[in-house]
Amino acid sequence: MNIDRLKNKLISKVITRFPSLAKRFIASYDPRQSLDVPWTPVTRALDRSTIAIVTTAGVHHKDQGPFDMKDREGDPSYRVIDLGRPLSDLMITHDYYDHADADKDINIVFPVERLREFEKQGLIGHVAGRHYSFMGHIIGRHIPTLVNKTAPEIARALKNDHVDVVLLTPG
Amino acid sequence: MGLIQREIEKQGIPTIGISIVRQYSEKVRPPRTVFLRWPFGHPLGEPFKTAQQRVVLAEALRALYVIQEPGAIIDLPYRWRREQYDDRDIQNILRVVPK
Repeated sequence: MNIDRLKNKLISKVITRFPSLAKRFIASYDPRQSLDVPWTPVTRALDRSTIAIVTTAGVHHKDQGPFDMKDREGDPSYRVIDLGRPLSDLMITHDYYDHADADKDINIVFPVERLREFEKQGLIGHVAGRHYSFMGHIIGRHIPTLVNKTAPEIARALKNDHVDVVLLTPG
Repeated sequence: MGLIQREIEKQGIPTIGISIVRQYSEKVRPPRTVFLRWPFGHPLGEPFKTAQQRVVLAEALRALYVIQEPGAIIDLPYRWRREQYDDRDIQNILRVVPK
């Protein structure tokens, strides 16, 4: 493992344990201010809605290639999470937050078992079969790729899957 | 996360995001957000605390129906590791959701 990755992992552990130090880390990333806000009204009842998760917690199947941790500007690519496969097949690649707890229980970043319980109870319609995962910490030259290419791609895929609601979770 | 959320909403699917950094959500302005002042890597709480995770999930789903103003952020009242969670709260949280 190279020195940059070690440094990032160490920082992520420290700021998770000592949230007061996280303020400096947070301030080091300054996203551009958006003026407009996109809006689609919610028209379908929750108990008839199909719900998908899109996470930026770096979740992926073990046999999918990991996210690129060497590029300092991150990785704008995504992975398709197939719920037909066992959850034990999932793992996390992400050096910018401490995922030791999420490694024990993926639901704290990717709450798929909780969604399944809600489905069983009739609180929601269905859990989607396919979910989508990114690695957060996407900056610099990768932002246009994310906004113009990969994010619209998964949005269209979600549409094709007849997903009614998307829940987004960070790392 | 917010940038991805905005693109999904633009394609016509309503979205809700769970945020743990309020200032990112304020700047990026995704359509709907619930915010928790919780540590990185724990948007739904602690491992194996299923009642806690279910409460956060229910709050997020509730926010879909409650938020009327684009870009609104709901500050959830739960303190990190200082709350008791009960599955009976779920029905109450989702009470406002239309059937």
